[in-house]
Amino acid sequence: MGTDIFGVSVSALNTAQIGIATTEHNIANANTAGYNRQLVVQAARPAQLTGAGYVGQGSDVASIKRVYDQFLSAQVVQEQATSTQLNTYYDQIQQINNMLADPNAGLSPALQDFFGAVSSVSSAPESTPARQTLLSNAQVLASRFQTMNQRLIDLNNSVNNQLTNSVTTINGYAKQIAALNQDVVTATAQAGGKPPNDLLDQRDQLVLQLNQEVKANVVKQDDGSLNISIGNGQLLVVGAQAFSLQTVQSLNDPTKLEVAYGVTAGNIIRMQQSGIQGGNLGGLLNFRSQSLDAAQNSLGLIAMGFAGTFNQQHQLGQDLNGVLGGNFFVQPVPVVNNSTSNTGAAVVGASVSSYSALTGSDYSLQFNGGTSYTLTRLSDNTVTNIPGGLPQTVDGLTISVAGAPVVNDSFMIRPTVNGALSIAVAITDPAKVAAAAPIRTNATLTNNGTGKISAGTVNAPPPVTPDPLHPLTDQNLQQPVTITFTSATTFDVTGTGVGLPAIGVAYTSGGNISYNGWTAQITGVPSTGDTFTVGPNTTASSDNRNALLLGGLQTQSTLLGGTTSYQGVYGQMVTQVGNKTREMQVTSTAQETMLQQTIQAQQAVSGVNLDEEAANLLRYQRAYQAAGKAMEIASTMFDTLLSLGR
Amino acid sequence: MRISSSTLYDVNVAALNQQQGKMLHTQQQVSSGRRMLTAADDPAAAAHALELTQSDATIAQYAKNIDASQHLLSTSEGVLQTVTTLLQDIKTVSISATSPAMANTDRQIIASDLRGRLDELISLANSTDGLGNYLFSGFQGKTQPFATTAAGVQYMGDDGQRLSQVSANRQLSGSDSGADIFMRIKNGNGTFVTQAAVTNTGNGIASQGNVINPALLTGHNYQVTFAVAGGATTYTIADTTNPANPVNAQPPTPYVSGQAISFDGMQFDIQNTPANGDQFTVVPSTSESVFKTISDMINALSTPIAPGSAADNAQLTINLNHAQNSLDRGLDNILTIRASMGSRLNELDAMKSSGADLSLQLKQALSLLQDVDYNKAITDLTQQQTGLQAAQKSFLQVMNLSIFNYMP
Repeated sequence: MGTDIFGVSVSALNTAQIGIATTEHNIANANTAGYNRQLVVQAARPAQLTGAGYVGQGSDVASIKRVYDQFLSAQVVQEQATSTQLNTYYDQIQQINNMLADPNAGLSPALQDFFGAVSSVSSAPESTPARQTLLSNAQVLASRFQTMNQRLIDLNNSVNNQLTNSVTTINGYAKQIAALNQDVVTATAQAGGKPPNDLLDQRDQLVLQLNQEVKANVVKQDDGSLNISIGNGQLLVVGAQAFSLQTVQSLNDPTKLEVAYGVTAGNIIRMQQSGIQGGNLGGLLNFRSQSLDAAQNSLGLIAMGFAGTFNQQHQLGQDLNGVLGGNFFVQPVPVVNNSTSNTGAAVVGASVSSYSALTGSDYSLQFNGGTSYTLTRLSDNTVTNIPGGLPQTVDGLTISVAGAPVVNDSFMIRPTVNGALSIAVAITDPAKVAAAAPIRTNATLTNNGTGKISAGTVNAPPPVTPDPLHPLTDQNLQQPVTITFTSATTFDVTGTGVGLPAIGVAYTSGGNISYNGWTAQITGVPSTGDTFTVGPNTTASSDNRNALLLGGLQTQSTLLGGTTSYQGVYGQMVTQVGNKTREMQVTSTAQETMLQQTIQAQQAVSGVNLDEEAANLLRYQRAYQAAGKAMEIASTMFDTLLSLGR
Repeated sequence: MRISSSTLYDVNVAALNQQQGKMLHTQQQVSSGRRMLTAADDPAAAAHALELTQSDATIAQYAKNIDASQHLLSTSEGVLQTVTTLLQDIKTVSISATSPAMANTDRQIIASDLRGRLDELISLANSTDGLGNYLFSGFQGKTQPFATTAAGVQYMGDDGQRLSQVSANRQLSGSDSGADIFMRIKNGNGTFVTQAAVTNTGNGIASQGNVINPALLTGHNYQVTFAVAGGATTYTIADTTNPANPVNAQPPTPYVSGQAISFDGMQFDIQNTPANGDQFTVVPSTSESVFKTISDMINALSTPIAPGSAADNAQLTINLNHAQNSLDRGLDNILTIRASMGSRLNELDAMKSSGADLSLQLKQALSLLQDVDYNKAITDLTQQQTGLQAAQKSFLQVMNLSIFNYMP
C-alpha cells in the first residue's frame, strides 16, 4: 500500500511540473504572433478497488491542448484578407489623391494660365510676345498633362512590381504551408493522435499571412493537413504539394502584368483577374482596374478632347501670315491592342469622329465570324452588336478593320489612355497662331442705303466641299464674293463657289447669308445698287475673332456629350478620386476596427494573460509543494513502520 | 471576459496611433491654413473649389482685357477729340471765307491754311495705339488706313471691329473702323443735295433744304429749270429718274426769291435772281469722306472769282454752304462715335467694378470652402492633445498593474 502513496505523489509532482512547464511556455510566448495559449488537461487515474472501496491513484496529464476557437480564427483570417485589400487600395489611391491635392501642381492652374494667354492674344493679336507667351503656356500645359500621366504610369509600374512581389510571397507561404502539412501529419502520428500545438499555430499563422496577400479558402482534411485554394478555386496547396502563381503580361495590354496559375514551367493557366479578391493582390488589382485606369482615361479624355476641340477651332482661323490655321496641339490618337492570343492577321484601327461623344471608357471588340462583331464598353459592360461589319461608329469612335480576323479574335480599344501622354504643342512659330478669321466682310463705301453686314463667321465643320489641304474648311472659303442689291428686297450673289452666282435672292434683314462655308448677316435697309463683299482677310494683323472663339472654349461645354467643359471633366476626375479615397479611408478604418475586434475576441479565448499565468504558476507551485509534502508524510509513515520491528 | 496581455498593448498602441494621426491632420490644417488637405477630405467641395478658382481666373483675365480695351478706347477717343476741335476750326475758317469782302488772294491764303489742316486731319486719322498699330484701320492694324492718292484720300483698311471679351457673355468693340468715322458721311443735309449747274449765269443760291415728309421721299434725281420771259421768272421741276412722276406735269411756277420750293417730301429755297435757263439739281445724298468735303472746300476757295461775276459768287456760296453742311454732318458723325466710345468706356468701368465685386465674392466662397477655421482647428488640436496625454498616462498606469509585482 505504501508504494501506492508514493505513486500518487509522484503523479502529482509530474503533473505539477508539466503544469509549470506549460505555464512558462505560455509566458514565453505571450508576444508570439499566432500563438494560442496551451492548457494542461489533467485527469484522475483510474481508482484501485479495495475492500474499502475505490482508492484514488493520483493524476495524469491527459493532453496539452491549445485553446483554439476555429470559428473565431477563421473569422480573423477573413477579416484580415478584406482589411489588407482595403488598406492596399487606400495606400495606392492616396497617391493619386495627393497628386491631385496640390492646388499649384494640378491641371487647373496650367489650364487657366493657358487660356489667360489665349485671352492676351485676343487683346493684342499682332503682338509676338503675347503669341510667344501662349506657346510657352501651351508647353507648360502639355508637360503638366504628361507629368501627371507619368505619375499614373509610375503607379502602374509600381502595381506591376508589387504584384510580382506579392506573388513571390504567396509562393513562399504556399511552400511553407505544404511543408508544415507534412510535419503536422507526421507529428500527429508520432504522438499517437495528440495535437502538435506549436506546429498548428505556425501553420495557422502562415495561413493568416497568406490571407494578407490574397483571400484563400482553407479546407481541413481528415489527416490534419490543409488544402488551400484561391481565386475561383485554383488549388494552391494540396497536402504536402504546393503549386505556384506567376505574373505574366496581359493579353490585351503589354504595360500590365496579370496573375496566372503556373502548373509547370512554361505551362500557365490565365486566371480571371476579377476573381482574385482580398489581400494585397485583391487591393492592387481592384485599384488598377477601378481607379488607376479610370484616372488615366479621364486625364487622357481631357487631353484628347481639349487638343481635338482646340485644334478644330484653330483650323478654322488664319495665322499672322495669312495662312489657314493648322493643328495647334499634336493630336493624341486611340490605342488598339490585338490580343496576343489572336490567330487572325486582322489589324483594328480606331479614330475619333466626335470628341464630345467620347466616354473615357475602354472597349473590347470580339469577332464572331462573318461580318459580326461584339463591342463591349468596359466601364459599364454595355454590349453593342455590330452585325454589318466594320467600319462602325460607336460613342464618337470610328472602328475599322484591315485584314481578316478569325472567330473569337479580340481587340482592346483604349481611346483615351494615351491622351495625356502624347499631347504636345505642334507649332513653334508664334506667327502660326491662328488668331484671325480667314474671311472679312465689307460694305462698299459708296453704298447709299443703311445696310450693314456682320463680320461673318466660318461655319462649323464638316464643310460641303472640303479643301484638300484644310479638310475642316470649304475649298472656296476665301473666294471673293459680292452681294449686290438689285432692289430693296432682292440681291444677287456673284463669285466662285457652289451655288454661285445666285440671282434674285430674297432679302430679310438679319437673315443668314451662307455660301462657301461662311455665314454673314445683312441688317438695315440697303438701297438698290448697294454692294457688300466677303473675301479673304489679308494683312489682318489686328483681327482677333478666332482668338476670341478659341478663348471661349475654356468655359464651353464641349466634352462628355456637350455637358461639361475641360475643367468640368477634371473636376469630375478629382471628385471621383477624392470620393473613392474617402470611401477607402472610411471602409478601411471600419474594416480595421472590425478586424481588431475580431482579434480581441479571438485573443480573449486564445491569448495569454500574464496575470492568469502568474496565478497558474502559483497554483502548480502549490500543487508541487503539496505533493512533496505528501511524499514526506508517506516517507514518515514508512519510517514509523520500520521502527516498529526494532 | 478574458483579456489577453498583448491585446492590452495592441489596443493601446492602435488608439495612440489613431489619436496621433488625427492630431497630425489638425496640425497640418493649422500650418497650411487649408481645411481640405486633399480632395478626399471633402470631394464635392474640392471640385467646387476648382470651378470657383477657374471663375476667378477668368474674371482676372476679363479685367486685363478691360484694361486693354480701355487703353484702346481712350486713345481713340483722345484722337477724335482733337479731330473734333480741328473740324470746328475748319468750319470757323470756312465761314469767315464767305465774307463778301474777301478778295481772291484772301481766299487763297485761307485755302492754303485749310490744306495744312487737311494734312493734320489725315495724320490724326492715321494715329497709332502706341504699339505701332493703327487705330482706325479695322482688322489690318499694320496697314496705314488713309492714303492720299490722285483720286483723293482713300481708305485702305476694312470694316473690322476689334472685339474684346470683357465678361463671360459680353464682347465689346475696342475700336471703330476708319470708314465709319471718316468716310461714310452723307453729304448735303443727309437726305438730298442741292447744286447749281456750273453753266448758270444768274446769282441764284439754293439752300441745303430739309425733309418735310419722309414718307414721300423717292430717292430720285430732280432738276429745277428757270425760265425768264417778259420779266416774269418761273421754274419747272423735272424728275429725271422717273419721267412719269406727276411733278413733271405741273405747270411752271412763278419764282419768288426765298420762297419755299417743296415737292416729294423735300423743301428748300432759292434766293437772288436766277437767269433764264439756269438749272439746279436735287439728288439723293451720297457718302462723302470728310477729307473730300475739306478738299472740295479748298478747291472752291482756290478757284478765282471773275471780278463782278454774280454766277461765280453764287457758285462759291453754294459750294461753301454745301461743304459746311457736310462738315457739320461729319462733326455729328464723329460726336456720335465719341458718344458711343464714352458709353463703352463707362460700361467697361462698370464691368471692372462688378468684376472686382464678383471676384471678392468668389474669393470669400473659396475661402469658406477650403480655408481652415482657426478657432475650430486650434480648439480641436487642444482637445486632441488632452486626449492623447490622457491615453498615454492611463496606458502607463494600466501597464504597471501585474501580479508579478507582488510575487516574492
